Amino acid sequence: MSNASAASKNNLMRRRGIGELLFYGKSMIPALGLLLLILVLFFGFSTKNFFALGTFKAIISNIPVIAIMSVGMTFVLLIGGLDISVGSILGFTAVNVVLFHDLFEKAGVPPVWIPWLVVLFSLVIGVLLGTINGLIITRVGINPVITTLGMMAFARGLASWFALGFEILKTGKITDQVFLNIARIYLPSSKLAIIPITLIYLFILYAATIIVLRYTRFGRNVYAVGSNEYAARLAGIDVRKTKFSAYVISGAMASLAGVILVAQLSLGRDDAGLGTELEVITAVVLGGVSMAGGKGNLFGVVIAVLILGVIRNGMVQFQEATGLSYYWREVVKGLILILAISIDAARIMATKRRQRVRQ
Amino acid sequence: MEEKLQKKRQISTTWILFIVLLAMVAAFSALSKDFYSFLNLSTMLTNISFSGIVAGTLTLIMITGGLDISIGGNIALTTCLLAYLFNIQPPVPAWSLIPIALALGAAIGAFNGLFITQLDLNPIITTLGTMAVTRGLGYVLTKSRSILIMEDVTGFIGRTLIPGLQIPMPLAFMVVVYAFLYFLLGRSKFGRKVYCIGANQAAARASGIRVNRVKFLLYLLSGIAASFSGLILTGQTAVGMPQHANGVELDVITAVLLGGTALSGGKGDILGTLAGVLILGVLYNGFTMIGFRFVHIRVFQGIILILIVALYEMREKKRY
Repeated sequence: MSNASAASKNNLMRRRGIGELLFYGKSMIPALGLLLLILVLFFGFSTKNFFALGTFKAIISNIPVIAIMSVGMTFVLLIGGLDISVGSILGFTAVNVVLFHDLFEKAGVPPVWIPWLVVLFSLVIGVLLGTINGLIITRVGINPVITTLGMMAFARGLASWFALGFEILKTGKITDQVFLNIARIYLPSSKLAIIPITLIYLFILYAATIIVLRYTRFGRNVYAVGSNEYAARLAGIDVRKTKFSAYVISGAMASLAGVILVAQLSLGRDDAGLGTELEVITAVVLGGVSMAGGKGNLFGVVIAVLILGVIRNGMVQFQEATGLSYYWREVVKGLILILAISIDAARIMATKRRQRVRQ
Repeated sequence: MEEKLQKKRQISTTWILFIVLLAMVAAFSALSKDFYSFLNLSTMLTNISFSGIVAGTLTLIMITGGLDISIGGNIALTTCLLAYLFNIQPPVPAWSLIPIALALGAAIGAFNGLFITQLDLNPIITTLGTMAVTRGLGYVLTKSRSILIMEDVTGFIGRTLIPGLQIPMPLAFMVVVYAFLYFLLGRSKFGRKVYCIGANQAAARASGIRVNRVKFLLYLLSGIAASFSGLILTGQTAVGMPQHANGVELDVITAVLLGGTALSGGKGDILGTLAGVLILGVLYNGFTMIGFRFVHIRVFQGIILILIVALYEMREKKRY
């Protein structure tokens, strides 16, 4: 008997080939790395100028908005929720950045202080909207999809309302160089401008989040709530508080992304970030964070964000090289999302199968 | 006894909705003298019917606990494909446009259904992906422009009145669709299966219902209904453009939830959705007539959506 089980175990071990490593292993990183490599090679050889410093810089400067929002979405998916209002929160923040900036300028605040005050107040907006989401979901007990769908309409509607109501939002331009420098400084020096400051922000944000998720009590609570809410409650974890915090973080990240976007474009309009929720969910799920909650980390998300950035830029160059319409990008985006959740589902099925074999 | 009581309550929800509807019609008629006119009411009902049809099929999906948010993209792609086929050389014969449009919707619905049932994917995210794909294909087909349909091919679906009755054609289609769905859901074996799956999927499977087949058929139906709405919209506007029906999923989901269907499944009916669609239609039309703009209505729409669900949640808690 024991012999037979040992043999079947042995058999299982042997069957773990490349496929197992890439798709059903504990980490998504090998598969994602391979996908990124294939994409880079594909675009590199099918277009003329893909292997150039300009391309690298374009990709790097396009990444921050999605990457920052992905941090918030990771928390929300880990606790087993969903937040589709992030694109609208970004848009509402973008409009408010312009309004706050105008307000502080007219109030005679010293120019050095204005950017920091704008960032602070904008973050408050995100925290506020995230708090509303969190309260409705955890206290009233309404489904997160419905709640954030409502918030999506509410925040975007309010942004458009402001855009119609305020004169300054007709153009939405910001010309204050001190504020724009938030996202426009390049390191290491003005001559050798390679690394944008936004990349430094990203590095700090991701490092901090990885530490929080891995080594703090809050991080462990997030995983516990996501993998088994009932067990987490029995273990004495404040489930409501943990869930609530995830939505607040998501709102704050969306508004932070809004500030960065306005600084990059020097433009704050009410349609900023339209449809980004799709890209953010794609990045996070592709990065191996399970829709079922409780599983995944930020390492995979980093590569997924890079993959989306490469596709975004590669498609533009691909159009120049082959004449293929740029709008295929939307189609590709949707297909990648479906591919990502299919892989997620296949992984969940494989885990279940393996557990059954073990039993 | 218990069952009877519950059934009574269910009926009363729909009655409440229709009473609210009548009250709103009365209120808007008093506030604006243009509201209760034949022209406005007929325009309003024509506008409602295009989203009303998809709300009907979405009700069935939501009763099984699913969701389809690709309907807006599906509608947009249908209008784009129709305009594109009409304008290529040599032009596609006019009679084939309608079957092509419906086949497109069926293909999109089948795609959704296959992925959701066979891989057991989250329907929200799957159809979010399909939404991007369909709207993206619309952009590819039209190169982000609006394509006019110069000759009147689909106009009879969207713009004409039924001769002698003065009823707009889309409204007549909507009535037919709702009658069909009413009998399908309330009076047929298939309808029972739909409720059964929504109430408890595992139990439904254990009692021999082919859950995946029923779900697949529902998504297929939703796809066909959406492309039919696309046909109506093309008929009304004579334009194919990828921005058509932007955000219609929000209107439709709000209407279905307002009608008493729960997102968790197992509950809801077609008459409730009809009331929900009419109430939202009257609300938007009425607010526009008394001087609100679209963006204001959008803000309230978000609040209304959450309020409705909260109210139903409270009702539910009171019952137990």
